[in-house]
Amino acid sequence: MKTKALLIDLPRCTGCRGCQVACKQEYKRQAEKTTFFGGPGYQNPADLSAETWCLVTYNEVLVNGRHDWVFGKRQCMHCEVPGCASACPVKALEKLDSGPVIYHREKCIGCRYCMLACPFVVPRFEYETWNPYITKCTMCAHRQVAGGIPACAKACPTGAITFGDREVLIREAEHRIAGNPGGYVHHIYGMEEAGGTCVLHISSVPFEELGYVMRVPRSPMVAHTEPAMKAVPMVMLGLATVLGASYALRTRKQRDNQPAESGHIS
Amino acid sequence: MRRSVLNVRLSIGTLALAAIAVVGIGLALYRFFSGIGAVSNLNQGYPWGFWIGADVLAGIALAAGGFVVAGLMHMFGGERYHPLVRPTILTAFLGYLLFVVALMVDLGRPWTIWHMIIYWHHESPMFEVGWCVMMYTTILFMEFLPVVFERFRLDRPYAIWMNAAPWVAIALLVLFTFAMTQSVVWVLAIAAVLIAFEWLIRLGIIHRDPRMPTMLLMAGIIFSTLHQSSLGSLFLMVPHKLNHIWYSPILPISFFVSAVAAGVAMVIVESTASAWYFGRKVEEELLKDVGHVLTWAIFFTLALRTTDLVLRGVGTELLVFNTPSIAFWIEALVGLIIPLALLLTPQFATSGRWLLIASLMVITGLVINRMNVAVVGITSTYGATYYPHWIEVAITSGIVAAGVLVYLVICSNFPVFAHEHRRPAETPELAAGLAAHA
Ligand code: SF4
Ligand code: SF4
Ligand code: SF4
Repeated sequence: MKTKALLIDLPRCTGCRGCQVACKQEYKRQAEKTTFFGGPGYQNPADLSAETWCLVTYNEVLVNGRHDWVFGKRQCMHCEVPGCASACPVKALEKLDSGPVIYHREKCIGCRYCMLACPFVVPRFEYETWNPYITKCTMCAHRQVAGGIPACAKACPTGAITFGDREVLIREAEHRIAGNPGGYVHHIYGMEEAGGTCVLHISSVPFEELGYVMRVPRSPMVAHTEPAMKAVPMVMLGLATVLGASYALRTRKQRDNQPAESGHIS
Repeated sequence: MRRSVLNVRLSIGTLALAAIAVVGIGLALYRFFSGIGAVSNLNQGYPWGFWIGADVLAGIALAAGGFVVAGLMHMFGGERYHPLVRPTILTAFLGYLLFVVALMVDLGRPWTIWHMIIYWHHESPMFEVGWCVMMYTTILFMEFLPVVFERFRLDRPYAIWMNAAPWVAIALLVLFTFAMTQSVVWVLAIAAVLIAFEWLIRLGIIHRDPRMPTMLLMAGIIFSTLHQSSLGSLFLMVPHKLNHIWYSPILPISFFVSAVAAGVAMVIVESTASAWYFGRKVEEELLKDVGHVLTWAIFFTLALRTTDLVLRGVGTELLVFNTPSIAFWIEALVGLIIPLALLLTPQFATSGRWLLIASLMVITGLVINRMNVAVVGITSTYGATYYPHWIEVAITSGIVAAGVLVYLVICSNFPVFAHEHRRPAETPELAAGLAAHA
């Protein structure tokens, strides 16, 4: 199966937040009471939350000597080798071959390790209930199965969100950048980040100015824990052998006069 | 005459502990109605905080005394440490139980914790941590059973236990290997070594320890080695969040060695405190020997951390004046450098009081270290900040206070300390039982 992806062409975004609303509607997530906050004030809400899985960010950026609004989109990146899924002890998070990283809520124990492990700071936790779950964007896996496209992509009126095969979209992104070198920075965010993701972003300004997380390793997160996990059986075998042998050697003498020794306590 | 409950005398100290425990446990119960948000400052940017640092990382490291003493004693021939075995196994066992209770507060859906048994994910360090907890708590429980058998003179079960415990330990180790590797080759390799060892003991080719099956102690040492290091492995997943003063590929190893040092320090503090509480004489000579082990453990931890920092080129960053570097220096001075200096100075090293002070410093340093890894060194994006809520601290304090009380109750009612031991192999039933199966 071809891996699906979303291409977010930020210069085409007008900040209408149609995707944000469509996502909320699709998943019937509660509206949030928000307050005006310092910084990019038109952005609402301030951050992703347990109720908001798709967020248009408003960034004031200096473009050609004048201040301009430049928009970003925040959601799960649907990593090729997701840190969240590698971290989860009970496989509550699963990467589908078709692209989406989905959540099996009935398995989750609520340890929140996925939140720590995600390099893009995406999974959210329902802190305010006695029976909490993790929540995040699902890449609308259920809509894809039914032959549809993600709700946010469907809602976007300007074509800023394209849904398609990952390989095709990478070529498309390269094509758009090459066709307008002045209009884009030469970086497809998500092509290599965390080992590659299924949400790809292209932008007219450097991604750090849009608040994108830049401290993301190029390698999948699991590459950092793998050596330690691989060592586990070796440590076991090594310890069993060394401990057993040292005990046998040390107690050589006791064995020879065992009867006299047994029953001796402290 | 003083009043007492369950043979624990009622004093200002024990009453204060009881009060702290009641408040903490009450707040912990409240959390199950209100959600974690109402009792903590944990948030979307800081999903882990005080509880992970104090209860999980530090708590488990401080319970390391159990396996260190067992290791010294049964594997490397430190027979003189034998009087310490029972008290340290008891503390480790209680420590693990407390940790499990604390985990129930921190987990979002603790009633699903058993999912770890049926949904396997051996790639996840958290899966390893979870399994180590289950396995090692079981082993500690089995290691503690002789105390119960002696107390109630259950000689028959004692004999059965002596014979069955090694096989249970082998079964747990093999199951664990399968869960962690899902490889038949590894399972066979490890099963072969363990079964061969046990067989040689049964055949009388290797000495059979009449006090405690060696296999049980080996299993304890293996599981706790893995558990201590796996807590470090957890943080290998976050190169993007953990400050690189602490983030290092050898995190599992430095977690292990520092836990050994802290575990030894705990043995010293605990022996001194319980001797004082129960009005016994402190085993000065013995503790001095433990002090030597402590010196080596600190030295080794310090050498490892220094080498690691130098090789990763972090040295210069420690000279900058900012929160992480200050946090690092507090941790290093309190937990490693000053106690090492104390222990290497002859007039301090020979004094029981200074040994106690050095041990307390090592313990404090370890708690700071684990807090640094779990909280201080973590940078979250999008401006999230975290500072523990007082209820978080109150719940942890309550659980610890409850643990100390349970320790006192058990020590006051069971033969934990050396001079109270019976001689199991001399009771006719047990001797007969052993002979029958040998
Ligand atoms: S962005 Fe985060 S939550 Fe989404 S798949 Fe990647 S690691 Fe998982
Ligand atoms: S919080 Fe749930 S989904 Fe996340 S790692 Fe833990 S068990 Fe897995
Ligand atoms: S893909 Fe679906 S779940 Fe994800 S942001 Fe778009 S609408 Fe929301």
